[in-house]
Amino acid sequence: MPASIEARNLGKRFGEVHAVQEVSFEVHPGEIVGLLGPNGAGKTTTLRMLAGLLAPTAGEAFINQHSVQKEPQLARRALGFLTGDMDLYRRLTPVELLAYFGQLYEVPQPELRRRIDELVEAFGIGEFKDKHCEKLSTGQKQRVSIARTLVHDPAVVVLDEPTTGLDIMASEFILQFIRRMAKENGKAVIFSTHHLDEVERLCDRVVIIHKGRLQHHGDIDSALAATNQTRLADAFFEMVR
Amino acid sequence: MRTSIINTIFRKEILEVLRDKRTLYLVILLPFFLYPALFFLIGKVGQSQAGKMQQEKVTVLIDPALEQTPVPALIGSDPSFVIKVQAFDSQALAEEKTTIGIRVDGDYAAGLAANESVILRIAGDFSKDLLDGRKQSITGLLNKLNQSLLEERLQGVKLPPTFAQPLLIQEEDLAKPSQHIGKVLGAYAPMLLMLFIFTGCIYIAIDITAGEKERRTLQTLFTTPVNVREIIAGKFLAVACVGLASALMNLFSLVFAVLLQAKIMGGNVSAISLAISAQGWVWMITLIVLSTVFLAALSMAVSLLANSYKESQSYVSPLMMLVLIPAVMAQMPGMELTMTTALVPVLNICLAIGAIFKGAFSLPAMGLVVFFALLYGLLALYLASLIFGNENVVTGEKVSWKLLKG
Repeated sequence: MPASIEARNLGKRFGEVHAVQEVSFEVHPGEIVGLLGPNGAGKTTTLRMLAGLLAPTAGEAFINQHSVQKEPQLARRALGFLTGDMDLYRRLTPVELLAYFGQLYEVPQPELRRRIDELVEAFGIGEFKDKHCEKLSTGQKQRVSIARTLVHDPAVVVLDEPTTGLDIMASEFILQFIRRMAKENGKAVIFSTHHLDEVERLCDRVVIIHKGRLQHHGDIDSALAATNQTRLADAFFEMVR
Repeated sequence: MRTSIINTIFRKEILEVLRDKRTLYLVILLPFFLYPALFFLIGKVGQSQAGKMQQEKVTVLIDPALEQTPVPALIGSDPSFVIKVQAFDSQALAEEKTTIGIRVDGDYAAGLAANESVILRIAGDFSKDLLDGRKQSITGLLNKLNQSLLEERLQGVKLPPTFAQPLLIQEEDLAKPSQHIGKVLGAYAPMLLMLFIFTGCIYIAIDITAGEKERRTLQTLFTTPVNVREIIAGKFLAVACVGLASALMNLFSLVFAVLLQAKIMGGNVSAISLAISAQGWVWMITLIVLSTVFLAALSMAVSLLANSYKESQSYVSPLMMLVLIPAVMAQMPGMELTMTTALVPVLNICLAIGAIFKGAFSLPAMGLVVFFALLYGLLALYLASLIFGNENVVTGEKVSWKLLKG
C-alpha cells in the first residue's frame, strides 16, 4: 500500500542552524504515528514542511503521493493540519468557520452542508454552534479546531499537540476521535505530543527526533528493545540523552 | 487565481469587520458625522463666543487732553464701551483685560487748526481677542471722524471730497459663493479624506495581517489549497473596501454638511453648494479609489512586518506621518499641481482633489496624477505581495529581509 505521508531526507536550515537534517519516515493509511522529541528537536519544523508552510532546504515531502513542494495545492487538499497554537476566527461562529474552510477547500455545497452537520454532531458542537468563537472555552475551541481540520475529509491528518491545555475529559474525547479517525475511516495520522502515555495508548509507530536528526522510526516495541527499557518514557529519555 | 476563493476570503473578512463595533465606529460613524458635527460646533461656539464678546463691556480711558473733543462722545455712542476721562499709564494698562486707552500727542485743537495730522494712540493688550475686536470698533469710529474732518478741511479750501481720493478702489469679486467654499474645502477636505482612508485601511489591515499572525489563524489559512495571491487579493479587497467606505462616508458627510449649513444660513442652496462638475466628481471618485488602493496596500505591507497587533500599532504613527505630511504640505499657500508635485505620493492626490473642489483642474494634470497614483498603488501592492510570500509571515515569525530579497 503506498504511503499517505512520506518525508524523504527532509532538511531545513535557518542561516547556519540546521533545524532538521535527513529526516525520513512514512505513514500509511489507517496508521497513527507519534512524532516525539524534546522542545527544539525539530518536530514543528518537520510538520510545517509536511504542510508546505516551510520549504525544505533538502529532501522532499509527499502527501497522498503528491509532492508538497511541486504540487502544493493537491498535497494540501489531502491534508488536515492542526497545531496547538492555531486559534480560531474570533467573530465567526463554529458553523461559519467550518463553512469558510470548506469553501476554501472547494467542497461542493450539498456535501459541505452534510459534512458540517456530521462534524457538529460528532464533536458535540451543537450546543455552542451559534456562539462567536471568542466566547468558547478552551476545550470547545479545540473541538472546533479539529472539526475544521477534518471539514474537507482529508486522507492525511497532522495534529501537533492537540491536547495541550485541555482537561482530562476533553483530552480523552480528542484521543478517542483520533483513534476512530484512523482505525474506522482509514486516515493516516501524525500525532505530535509530549504526553508519552497518550502515545503508548494511541500510536502504532513512533518517530523520535532529537537535535534535528531522526533517532528512531519503528513500533514502540522496537524502541523499547533498542534501548533495553520497558517503558516508552525511559526509552525516549535514553534516546535523547 | 480563482475568483470564488478570493470572494470567499473577502466576504469572511468583511463579515468580521461588520461584527467589530470599534471598527464600524472608526470607519463609518466617525467619518459620517465629522463634518456636520464640526460645522455645527464651530457655528454654535463661534456664535456664542461672538455674542459673549459683544455683550462684554470694555472701559475706554480717554486722555483728559481729549475731553473737549468729539472723541469721548463718538466712542461713547457705542453702548459696549464705558467711557472714563482720565490719564493712564501704559504699563498698568498692559495688565488690564477689559480696558483700552486713547491718548493724543500734542494739542488736538491746535494741530487741527494748523492743518496738521494729530496723532491719536489707541493702547491696550491686543493679544486678547476681546480688546483686539474693540480696537477695530474704535478705529472704525475714529475713521469716520477722520473722514468728516477731512471733508471740513476740503470745504475750507473749496475743494470737493473726491480731491483727497484720486483713486477709488472697488473690488468686484467674480467668484461664485460656491468657489469660495471650494477654496476653503479644497485646502482642508483632501487632508481629512486621506486621514479617513488611512484610518479605514490601517486598522483592518492590522487585524487581518499582524492580528492573524499573532493568533496563528494566518498559518491555518496557508495550510489550505489556496495560493498566496488569492489570499492577498481577498484580504486586499476587504481592506480597500473598508478604506473606500470610510472615504465615501467622509465625502457624503462633507456634501451633507455644506448643504445643511447653507439651508440653516437661509442661503440659496444651489448657489452656495459645491461647484463640482459631473466630470469633477468622476475624477474625484477615481482619485479616491486610487489613493485607497495605495494606502490599503501600504497598510497591509507595513502591518505584515509586525509580529503582533501591539507591535503593528507602533507602526501606525510613523505611517500616519508619511500620509499627513504631504497632505498638510498640500494646504500651504502657493502649492500647486505641477510635473514635480504630481510625482509625490499623497501630495499629488491632495492637490488634485483640492483643484477639483476649487473647480480649477486641467485634464493633463489629472491624467498625470492618476497615472502616478496607479503606479504607486501597484508598487505598494507588489511590496505587500512580496512580504506576504515571505516564509516567516506564514509561520508567524519576524519577517526576514534576506528572504524578502531572495
